[in-house]
Amino acid sequence: MQLRNRAAYGFLAPYLLIFAAFWIWPIISSFLMSFQNTRVNPWVFSFGANWGRLFNDPAFYNALKNTMIILIIQVPVMITLATIMAVLLNSPLLKARGLFRFAFFAPVVVGEVAYAAVFRLMFNLDFGIINKLLNGIGIASISWFAEAPAAMALLIIAVTWRWAGYNAIIILAGLQSIPGDVYEAATLDRVSKIRQFIYITLPLLKPIILFCVILSIIGSMQLFTEPFLITNRGGPGGGTETLGLFLYRQGFTSLNFGYASAIAYTMAALAILISLLNLWVGRDEK
Amino acid sequence: MGCKFLGATALVAALALGSAPALAQPTEITIWSWNVAASSLKSTLEGFNKQFPDIKVTVQDLGNQQVFDKTLAACAAGGDGLPDIVTIENFEAEIFWNRFPDCFANLKDLGYTSEIQAKFPEFKRTELEVGDVAYAMPWDSGPVAVFYRRDFYEKAGVDPKSVKSWDDFIAAGKKIAAANPGVVMAQADFNGDSEWFRMISNEQGCGYFSTDGQTITINHPACVATLDKIKQMKDAGTLTAANWDEKVQSNTAGTVASQVYGGWYEGTVRTNSPKLTGKWGVYLMPSLTADGPHAANLGGSSLAISNGSQHKEAAWTYLNYTLGTDEGQIAMLKSFGLVPSLLSAEKQPFVSEPQPYWDGQAVWADILGTLPKVVASRGTAFQSDADGIYKATQTKYFAGGYPDAKAALDDAANQIASATGLPIAQ
Repeated sequence: MQLRNRAAYGFLAPYLLIFAAFWIWPIISSFLMSFQNTRVNPWVFSFGANWGRLFNDPAFYNALKNTMIILIIQVPVMITLATIMAVLLNSPLLKARGLFRFAFFAPVVVGEVAYAAVFRLMFNLDFGIINKLLNGIGIASISWFAEAPAAMALLIIAVTWRWAGYNAIIILAGLQSIPGDVYEAATLDRVSKIRQFIYITLPLLKPIILFCVILSIIGSMQLFTEPFLITNRGGPGGGTETLGLFLYRQGFTSLNFGYASAIAYTMAALAILISLLNLWVGRDEK
Repeated sequence: MGCKFLGATALVAALALGSAPALAQPTEITIWSWNVAASSLKSTLEGFNKQFPDIKVTVQDLGNQQVFDKTLAACAAGGDGLPDIVTIENFEAEIFWNRFPDCFANLKDLGYTSEIQAKFPEFKRTELEVGDVAYAMPWDSGPVAVFYRRDFYEKAGVDPKSVKSWDDFIAAGKKIAAANPGVVMAQADFNGDSEWFRMISNEQGCGYFSTDGQTITINHPACVATLDKIKQMKDAGTLTAANWDEKVQSNTAGTVASQVYGGWYEGTVRTNSPKLTGKWGVYLMPSLTADGPHAANLGGSSLAISNGSQHKEAAWTYLNYTLGTDEGQIAMLKSFGLVPSLLSAEKQPFVSEPQPYWDGQAVWADILGTLPKVVASRGTAFQSDADGIYKATQTKYFAGGYPDAKAALDDAANQIASATGLPIAQ
């Protein structure tokens, strides 16, 4: 090793040591743990105890299904909403732009625990404002927390409310980087605003939207706080239990670290797979 | 004066050091607990320090989940950082004994004799003792009762004494709902809990696991009958979904006629709905048949001494006073409604006193009277696995996912078997 490199690694050492102890080691350790039966004392090696169980466990497929529902419904809805919000925010007709920008972004600033508590109150069966409004227009009260489909809808509404504005701000930044002369030329050619949006804005925004989609997918894969706090730990009866919550339940309430590790690795593999798929779908055709 | 006093103290201290060093300065012990439980522990300290002025007890109120999480982390770290005494809920107790058998002291080594053990009912001790080791001492228990609104029942002409079976309960519910518009008969936490199943199945002598914790019994006929009855009650509108907070809101708003819970719910009703004094009453839980047991247990905690404690003797002295004497247990019952599991406390005068909030009914005599009839229910180290699977099965069954209760619980039993490796009882 050259002297110069040695000095560099010397300076890096404190960080690398911490990185090794708190990142690399847990990653390896949890991988090894996923092959151990951690329900007995002391732990023993057993392939089937966790990996064998995982692919036969209805609770795992339930959590996977719930995560996929959120992924397939919530992410596209949110990104579409965010794009529309961004375009509206970018409109030259808009007054008090700073205020609106902040208003759309504000949900991210609100603490998760606080907004979860407010959502719980708003969607309360007997006393919540949402059911009162529904009653007002002649729809019967919905038992938001006791029916699995309603609870899932509530979860999607909550997550969308919280993150749509955040994505809108990122997309807005993308919009502002599109040079104005492209639109000017299109306007001179009498291209309508809607066609401009479809043929100019969307293609130029593609990398930004793809970025938002990947971020949202990773976020959805790890979704934990909302089902934990709003629908009471994935209730009713696992109806909104996501993979993240399933992992937590196995690891920290059932104390089955081996199984939790196997779930964690499955989640990571899924996230990588889906992101690769996304990049492939969104690749530039040359 | 000051000088002389100081000298005297020094002399006493020197004497004490020479003869009995342990008494030279107060021994300090710390307890982790939560909410009402912590407050009630504090309410025993005055009486305790009268008898044992040398032991200073500090109760830390960390919140329920925090105590579980921190104890878990501390035990995983080999017992580092644990206080002298930890509060442990019975149903999750076996998770600790099973995973960390060396984290807590064997109380039998500290003076927990078989005579003292016999002062507690069998069902409370099942989960706290493994073979010859007693890890914790029973504290409160949750003998189940029906808490009901006298005025709603009266208006419908329902005599609570006549509600003997769950079928009676359904019939009474229809009358009460008809006579009191906007009022539901009872509520169950179908969203996040399994309390109704655990209460009625325990009453019927059934549970997720056998009493020895070795087999899965969730699909036994008594459990099947329980789930069947709960579905009937849900379909008849007797039970509507509400979680803990919503139940409390309904109590105060007057939109529910009855709540079924462990005896500790007395304090919740009394302190959260103070304006409804005289409106509430208590009766024994119905059963599947009119001549059934009318007794079950839901909830309850225990106290354990950490193995790393420097003051195990002092901690034991406190445990034995607070949990093992009528004085300690009655102090907690009076202040915060924690139901003693100490059998002799049942005979204390306070228990048979009429309670003003409950319209002069001696509720404790009624609730505690069921304790001897309660049968053991085993949480085991796999409680949270089984409970999670049960809740998912219940939701699916209610939504029409199974042809009948038997099929639902057979499926639950199979899932619990694959999660735990335990066999299904024949």
